[in-house]
Amino acid sequence: MPASATANRPEELVERLGVGGAAAEGEALLKALREVKNQIIGNKTKKLLYLHLGAVPRIVSVLASAEGGGDAALIVQAAAAIGSFACGVEDGVRAVLDADAVPQLTRILSYPDEKVVDAGARSLRMIFQSKLTPKYDVLQEKNMKFLLSLLYRENENVTELAASIIAHSCERHEEQKALCDAGVLQRLVKLLGGPLNQRDACLESIEAIVRNNSEVAQKFACIDNGKALSSLIELIQDRYPRTRLLACICLIAIRHASPCYVQEMQIKTKLILILIELLEEPGKAGDEAPFALTNLIMDEEELHKQAISINAVEKLCNFFYKGPIEARRLQGILLALAELCSKLEKCRSQLISLQVLNFIVDALKHDCTDVRTAACSCIRNISRSLKNLSAGHLSSETVVVPLVQLLHDESSSVQVAALGAICNVAVNFATRKSVFIQCGGVSQLVQLAKSMDSTLRLKSVWALRNLMFLADRKDKECVLMELTVSNLASLICDSEHPIQEQALTLVSNLIDGCGDTFEHAFAEDSAIINALTRILHSASSPGVCMQGMFLLANIAAGNEFHKEVVLNCLVPPQPNGNNPSFIIKFLQSKENLLRVASVWCIVNLTYRDGLCSSTRVARLRDAGIISQIKTMVNDPCLDCKLRVRMALEQCMDFENSEHVH
Amino acid sequence: MSLSWIFLGQLDSIEPMSTSKKVITREEWERKLKDVKIRKEDMNKLVMNFLVTEGYVEAAEKFRIESGTEPDIDLATITDRMAVKKAVQSGNVKDAIEKVNDLNPMILDTNPQLYFHLQQQRLIELIRIGKVEEALEFAQEELAPRGEENQSFLEELERTVALLAFEDVKNCPYGELLDVSQRLKTASEVNAAILTSQSHEKDPKLPSLLKMLIWAQNQLEEKAAYPRINNLSTAVLEDPTI
Repeated sequence: MPASATANRPEELVERLGVGGAAAEGEALLKALREVKNQIIGNKTKKLLYLHLGAVPRIVSVLASAEGGGDAALIVQAAAAIGSFACGVEDGVRAVLDADAVPQLTRILSYPDEKVVDAGARSLRMIFQSKLTPKYDVLQEKNMKFLLSLLYRENENVTELAASIIAHSCERHEEQKALCDAGVLQRLVKLLGGPLNQRDACLESIEAIVRNNSEVAQKFACIDNGKALSSLIELIQDRYPRTRLLACICLIAIRHASPCYVQEMQIKTKLILILIELLEEPGKAGDEAPFALTNLIMDEEELHKQAISINAVEKLCNFFYKGPIEARRLQGILLALAELCSKLEKCRSQLISLQVLNFIVDALKHDCTDVRTAACSCIRNISRSLKNLSAGHLSSETVVVPLVQLLHDESSSVQVAALGAICNVAVNFATRKSVFIQCGGVSQLVQLAKSMDSTLRLKSVWALRNLMFLADRKDKECVLMELTVSNLASLICDSEHPIQEQALTLVSNLIDGCGDTFEHAFAEDSAIINALTRILHSASSPGVCMQGMFLLANIAAGNEFHKEVVLNCLVPPQPNGNNPSFIIKFLQSKENLLRVASVWCIVNLTYRDGLCSSTRVARLRDAGIISQIKTMVNDPCLDCKLRVRMALEQCMDFENSEHVH
Repeated sequence: MSLSWIFLGQLDSIEPMSTSKKVITREEWERKLKDVKIRKEDMNKLVMNFLVTEGYVEAAEKFRIESGTEPDIDLATITDRMAVKKAVQSGNVKDAIEKVNDLNPMILDTNPQLYFHLQQQRLIELIRIGKVEEALEFAQEELAPRGEENQSFLEELERTVALLAFEDVKNCPYGELLDVSQRLKTASEVNAAILTSQSHEKDPKLPSLLKMLIWAQNQLEEKAAYPRINNLSTAVLEDPTI
């Protein structure tokens, strides 16, 4: 406050706080405390100011010195001030925790004066709402006893505090079980019948205890022969939106923890309806509703269908037309739409026909990281639709350019999400990949393919692979030039198997179709072939071996030179000791596809098309490969059996011709 | 809400003719209304609920004594709440803030919009009494940081500070901010926040009932010509227009 308040300059006020020394006493101290409290409540700037002036430890010392009685008014003001420091300001929470305020505030909960108890309970509640506050150790018996005693107090602030502490402190199964065993759930259910704020606090608590814990969820469902569960079901239709939301969240948690409860389609449909209605509420209840909805229907196609049948998609999309949406709610809506589009074509078509794609694309440029990530997920799932991809809805500049922008977003989670979307969008059946290539998408992907982060590497190689799929020659060369053969070769030898697989598939897509792209496989001293040979020798994961063998088989379908190279790969000219060729191990593999790919390779190598075929057969025989194939005449996999017969027929021709001479 | 359901139950028995609207005369209507039974206790509860929510403590106390109706919240808590409301309504906003913080310090800490509106009201009061320098200092120190934290606060702040630019403050574009109605608006906001923190409903039941009446009348209007209540405060039945 201005000029007249020199006597109340912050530094001077703080001087008066505390115990002993220069600190004020009695009435003067009370005035100082009250003044500081009134200045900081609601005011972040003032909180920080007084924090830096060291007010917190002084105020806590006032609390501490009022042992056994003391001036109630002083205690109330001190407690209120401490609670306010802890509200919404991380540094404040730290200061309060460091000054050891929690035990002091806990102590005053047992005072006879209700106002003191209220002040202590409210402040503790504020402190326990912060993520920085350590969990209350409910596994310790005396702590559990204390918590229970709070739950049985008449004071609403105290019971709400207990509920908050529980919601804050139970993460692990042992903690949840301990609370359940101590009868906390029964008491919380009883408290659900109380005033509104208490009821809401209890709902949050119950959810925290049952979350992901099937044993506890079952116990809850059995309380009072199922009456507890019924009261929850009633509460989802309560008149207060926040209560409805919390009750829904509770039921969803129980369902996920123990699917035999809340399983009738009727109740699930009701939940979907109520959550969709909640979307209309302004404020936090409406903001959180789409998250609960996403959680409810996650990965369940039946529920997706139900939601769509009650116009969930339209209702969600309507929000886009109502003007700017607050960040949290926007994130929720995008995630809900993404979930709905994840499996059902109907949803994706509906979304496109409602013409909201441009809003989703706008969200790619939002300030909030979470919104950008959610928008990417949405686009990724919409583009699972082959119809939409072919129609080119997602390959225009308006979509591709912002997505490519996100590849160098500051947040790696946004980058990963954008890559996911690009992976799909890049599988473009219309050969208009040029949009993507033109806006610098390829160089971004190539950059990310060199990232230290394996997720980024994997997804970017995947995107490049999709880009290569059915691309025309010009585009393929463009990508390869950007990526370079040596990079591709090192990706084939990447430390992560999934990345090796993607890289191999990339090469397959590269050489697929037109003949001259084959040459790329041999560029730079056959760098790619060498890399391929290396990893096949080390026989990494089955997936890698399969891709590798299919690649070899495809190359072996080429000309004499190509076949020679493949043969040298399988059967090196300078034998390395008595090591059998890796293909023999593959031919003995349990994996059908790996055997099939390997036999195809042999089929292509033994194809009678020229002079050298007989020498090739001879080399294969010498390496014991033909005899291995002979043992597979009755392979259980039909595809494999047929190829084996084909290969053997081709080899027999040579044998016969040899004998016939 | 038993009152309105009885009323609508009666409406059900009216048979509209297929094409033209049915006409119901005043006598017929009044006759049917006589048959509707309303309990005294229900009306008393509605009145008590209104007095309590709006904060008329003395009236509520008197009504309790005279009618024997029990209020649904402790009348003592109403006194505190009314002190806050009164302080805002008379322009003593700093006093109001201190009282709210004494009642429950969490209210203003968890309600940034309300806190901003109270601080804004303080600024308006300073401008009203012509303390220009103090007003500017206050705006700078207390309100500008809030504006930084939130875009919509910034816009409201700019509008309020703009008052200082005008000679004839009462008639300038944002002049309504100086109106008593602005104080009442802020007072109402505080009242609602306190009620919510006490787990009490912030709106009385009576307005909902009246809204239901207007809605039901409009629905019926489509099917019949009947005596309407057009003036809610007098509740006089007006003859049907044909």
